[in-house]
Formats: sequence, C-alpha cells, structure tokens
Amino acid sequence: MTDRSPRKGSADGGRPSMTRRGLLHLGLASAAATLLPRVRRASAQIGGAQPQTPATPAGELTNPAEFKAPRVKASAPTTLSFWQYVGFHVTAQKFIAEEYKKRFDPNLSLEITAYPGLNEQRVGVKTALAAQSPTPDIIAIEPGAYAVDVYTNGSVIDFTKVFAEDREYQRGFWPNALELLTINGAVVSVPAVTNTVIVYYNKGIFAQHGIEVPQTLDDLKKAGAILNAKGIAPIVYPAGQDRNFPIFPFYTYAGGTKADRLLREADLGTKPWTSPELVAAAEFVDMMAKSGLYAKGPLGIKEPDAISIFAGGKSAMFWGGQWMRRSIRAALPPGFELGLFPFPAVVSGGHRPVLSSVGITLTVNARSKRPDLAFEMIKALTGAWGKIEYTRNLGLSPNGPISPEAIAYQMQSLKDPLYPEFLKLQPTGTTRVIFTPQVEEALTQGMQAIFAGQKTPRAAMETVEAASQKLGVRKFKVG
Amino acid sequence: MVPAVAVLAAFLLYPIGYSLWLSFHEWSGYTPTWGPFVGIANYLALARDEVFWKATWNSLVFVIVRTPLEVGLGFLLAILLNRKMPARALLRTLFFVPVVMSLIVVTIIFQRIYEPNTGLLNAMLRGIGLGALAHPWLGDAVTALPAVIAVSVWKNVGFSLVILLAGLQSLPQDVIDAGRVDGANAWQLTTRVIAPLMRPILALTGLLSIIGGLKVFDLVFIMTRGGPTYSTEVLATMLYRQAFELNEMGVASAIAVILVALVLGTARLQTLLVSERDEARA
Repeated sequence: MTDRSPRKGSADGGRPSMTRRGLLHLGLASAAATLLPRVRRASAQIGGAQPQTPATPAGELTNPAEFKAPRVKASAPTTLSFWQYVGFHVTAQKFIAEEYKKRFDPNLSLEITAYPGLNEQRVGVKTALAAQSPTPDIIAIEPGAYAVDVYTNGSVIDFTKVFAEDREYQRGFWPNALELLTINGAVVSVPAVTNTVIVYYNKGIFAQHGIEVPQTLDDLKKAGAILNAKGIAPIVYPAGQDRNFPIFPFYTYAGGTKADRLLREADLGTKPWTSPELVAAAEFVDMMAKSGLYAKGPLGIKEPDAISIFAGGKSAMFWGGQWMRRSIRAALPPGFELGLFPFPAVVSGGHRPVLSSVGITLTVNARSKRPDLAFEMIKALTGAWGKIEYTRNLGLSPNGPISPEAIAYQMQSLKDPLYPEFLKLQPTGTTRVIFTPQVEEALTQGMQAIFAGQKTPRAAMETVEAASQKLGVRKFKVG
Repeated sequence: MVPAVAVLAAFLLYPIGYSLWLSFHEWSGYTPTWGPFVGIANYLALARDEVFWKATWNSLVFVIVRTPLEVGLGFLLAILLNRKMPARALLRTLFFVPVVMSLIVVTIIFQRIYEPNTGLLNAMLRGIGLGALAHPWLGDAVTALPAVIAVSVWKNVGFSLVILLAGLQSLPQDVIDAGRVDGANAWQLTTRVIAPLMRPILALTGLLSIIGGLKVFDLVFIMTRGGPTYSTEVLATMLYRQAFELNEMGVASAIAVILVALVLGTARLQTLLVSERDEARA
C-alpha cells in the first residue's frame, strides 16, 4: 500500500491555514478524544489508546520526547544505504537522519533509495540479498510474506539483541504491532508507522440527503438505496488497485466477527479456510459485490480513479486506507467536507471493524558492514522522538503510543482534523496481513472470482484451502 | 570476431544456459546458492497448473489478435500516407507519437479512459445513446484482455506504419506503373502488385509484432496485473509472479525457457513459411 500522491509544498495538503490557538485547541481536543484508561493488548489488533491529556500548553510547541543519543557512533565518515518503496516518506526520513547526524554523529549519513513501488524494491532487494551484497544496510519490508522470506532465508538480523539492550525502545511500539512482525519468536523488523482502512465520506452529500453515518450494515444498505435513487454511487472501492484490495471486505468481515485469529491460523495451515466463519466472510464479499453499494466495476477501479470519482461527488463514500488521506485531500474541491467512519458492524451487536496494519517496517541486512550503526539509525527513525517527527508530516498513525502534547505538537503543522480521528480508530483495528504468498495469491484470485460472479463463496474458499494444503506444514511460526 | 562472440556468450548464451539450468532446480531467490536439483519437476508442475495454460492461451490470443491488426492497420495507413495528400507529414508524425510515448503515460491514460464510472469510453457511449454498452472494461474477465490488446495495437501501429512506409517507398516504381498501364484498379494494384512486393517487409513487421506480443509484460502488468481472475495473465506476468511474489525461481525459469522456445519456434516457423512460399513462386 503506498500513497502515490506527489509531494506537495505544504504539509496540510492545501487546506486553509488555522490560527495557532485553533491548532492547540484542535490538538488537545483530539488528544482528549483518544482517551482510554490504559493501553490494551488485543491480539490480532494493531494500535491502542493514546494516553492522558496534559494541561494546556503555551507558546510554540516542540517535540516533547527526548531524542536519545546512540550507544555507538561512526569513527569515520560512513554512509548507510536504505532501500524503501514509499516515496512520500523520504522527506520525513531525511529530516530525522539529518537531525541525528547534527546532534549525535556527524560521521554518519543515510542514503535513501526510494523505489517507485514495493514490487520494484522487492526485486532489487532480492537480487542484492542473493548476491550477498552488504548494500542496502537498512531494508524496508512489508509485514507478512516479505518478512517471512527475508528472515527464514537468513538475510536479515532480528531485533532480539537490540531489544535486550534497550527495553524502553521495545516498549515504545504497540505490542500487537511487534507481534505481527515476530517470526519464529524473533522480531524481524520494526514499524515506522501504523495505518487503518476506513470509510471516507462526503459530509455535504450525507447532509443533503439526510443520511446519518451508518452504524450497522442495514444502515449502510439504506443509505445506499437513497444514494442510488439520486444517481450517486454509494461507495467507490478501488478493488483493482493491487492484490490486497480485493481481500479488504473479507478481512473486514473476519475482523467484525472476531475471526481474525482463525484467519491467521488458516494462513499458517492449522485451520481450514473452509471453516464456517471464513466461508461466511466470503459470503459477505459476495453479498457486498451484489448489493449495489459499490460504484460500477470495482475490479476495474484503481486508487486514482476512485479519488477522482469521490472528489467529483459521484460517490458519497470511499473505502480506502489512511495512507490515501493526502491524495484525497489534494483532489478535493474547495468546500468539500471530508469525514471518516469505521466500517459499520457486519453482524448484529458486533463491533465496527477497522482494518489495521503496520506500514513500512525496517530491518537490517545480515551482510551489512555496520549493522550496529544501522540499528542505531532505525532506532532514531522509529524511537520516541523519531516517531513523532515521522508521523507529524505524514499524518499516518505512530508505531506506538505518543503523548497528547506530542499530538498537539504534530497538529501545529499537520492541521488536518482527520488525523486525530484516525488515532481514535486504532484500538478497534484488526489485522490484514497474510504470511503465506501462495495463500495470499489464492485469496486474491478467489475474491476476484467472487466479485466477477465466477465462483461461489464456498468454491473460492475451497480453492484457497487447496492452495494452503498443497504447502503442507509451514516452516515458520508467527508471534 | 572474438569480442563479438565473447559479448554474445556473456550476455546471451550464458544467461540462457543459466536460466535453463536453474529451471531444473528449486530456489527461493534469497540465498546465494540454489536449492536441490529437481529434474523436470518444475516443468511438470507447470503442466499441471491451469494458470500456466491460461497464461499460454492468453499470450497466443494476444499475438493472434494483435499482430494482424497491428500489421494490417499499419499497412493500410502506410498505403494511404504514401499518397500525395494534405498534411501528410503531420499525419505520419501523429501516427508515430504513441510509439515514442512512455508506456506508463499510455497505460494511465487508458486506465482513465476505461474507468467504468467516469471514464471517457463509457461517457462517450452514454453520450451517443449506447449507454447499454457501457462496461467495466478492465474489471470484467471477458473484456479485460481485448481492452489491453486494443491499447497495445494503438501504441504499436505507428511502428509498423513507419517500417511499411519505408518499404513502400523503396518499391520499384516501374512495376507499379506497369500495373497501372495494364489497367489494374487501386484494389488490384494493392493486392496483386504491392502486397507481393512487400512480402519480406510484411513478414519482418509481423515477426517483430509476434515476438513483441509473446514477450508482453509491462502493459499487462501496469494495467491489470494479469487480472481479474487471471483473465489477462500472460507468460511474462506469470513468470514475474512466480519469481518475485511466490519465490519460485525454478518455476519462473522454466516459464522463461518455454517462452524463449515459443518465440524462437514461432520466428523459425514464420521464416520457413515465408521462404517456402517465395521458393514456390520462384
């Protein structure tokens, strides 16, 4: 999942500026809105509640976290190479690396190569690792199959030693985020950010047609009927974007019925994909495809098309990811009021599922000539100070809890009221990661076949189960 | 001669041999050494894989549909643009523009044209009262492959046009004039005189189109990634999927070997057919 929006000059995506007082209020209000009594650990969920709000800050805000000095420094000019696949993260990464250099280690530079996409980066990394190249020192990987591949082949170094030396650093991450990156008992990589999949909506259209934010699936269907009658597509859903998007409805149902643990077990081959709960999830995909809720031809729609349709008022809702917020904002005409809500409860009395995952995650090449420095750089990028700077500009959710003062500091430049909305949604998140490539492929194709009416939900799940069984016992464990 | 052979060996023969040998092994692509020798297991796995047959079929359909359209349209346009007509130079340039356009740009443009809700194609159909034909062109397994082929033809027809136009301009004018003197009309002149004289160039253009069609990857990958439901999967996209998404480098190499064999076989077959017909005429 990547945001393909060109980098804009302003960090707010072109929104009107706010006063400092307004920003402070917004930041504090947003922080207060994220209150929960404690950070809860919920298996198969990413994120948690942000902690208690402080007294009103005064004056120009600064990053309230301490930027900790590294344990080791370069003794001579050293350049670490870092290969990643999300271009719009580069500025945030560069900023942190420059500050690190300025404050602690003038000998250490970070050279970032941003590939145009995950596929290209993965090809480059695979080639480098097979050639036992010491470059890149730091590798961005996706959770799931990519992490399994690089770790089980001995290509990267896990974080066992780093965490043993610095427990505070480890505690800075959402525990369930690290759980998602734990292969055979070791944390393979650490997340730079976390993100969610939600429903964006056009507040103006909702108000115009008297539609309330849907709480249940029935509410959503009723809203869909009203919108369809007015010639407005209820939801634009870019199922043609990549191999992951067609699975979102399936994940949503699994999350909404608390079947995400079962989904993980099926992924690892210990439970069948034809379990009634997972077949029910496939039936939900089928129901949604036939419900008239989607804009026409979701398999033929990609993210830019979807943004254009939504921004043009031809659809009232957009089912998409947090990483698309900037692109959506950039496309909206003046006066467009953007809102978001978690997908409605998929079963009566169920919770509202928000697909959640870690974003770009960082690890160290096992052949790196300076793995110690590479780990220090990763700690700078993802540690207490770095995570606030990193997410400040991007508007993605941090990799762990941050203080309300930190949120207020971020809102000073971020300005987008949706950011705290996203932070509020984190505790309800469910995972959307598959660890077995062949299973992911079968699941993608199965969901596409359901969309296209080529397979029944059960037949699709039988195909996935066949792909899973063919692999036999997995050679890795998760968590 | 030695440097040429060395370059050929290093950059052609060695990679082909390497791929061939790799196709008999297991390898994830992450380790410096290959996995175990598995004989023809990768080929057998492909033979049992319905996606492979689907991809092979799609590759053949891609060629069978694309090549006649590309060469045929190119030939027609070449004949038209070989005549004296207003704005001839401009038209020649315009037809060649898609060839030099970035493929990424072309695919993005056509993705927007094909978009089912606000795309230009469906908007035009609705505008002229044919809204019933509006369709999710790339999102439907039935229309996705033809839609991609249409883009390929649009992108490449200018290339055929240029080669064929150069061929037309090199034809002996006296033969054509003799045909005219003998009373041949335009159709007869084209089919009985020009087309036979153009046979070698048409064969070359066709061959290039066939090879390009069999190898097609980027266009399909960017537009549909082989979907939906493998409806646009071709051998090259399957190769990529096996190598870099499923980590089956041995299977991917087997596909590469089959693809090379298919390209070389097709090229040889066409060369034989053309030379046989020429010999028969002689």
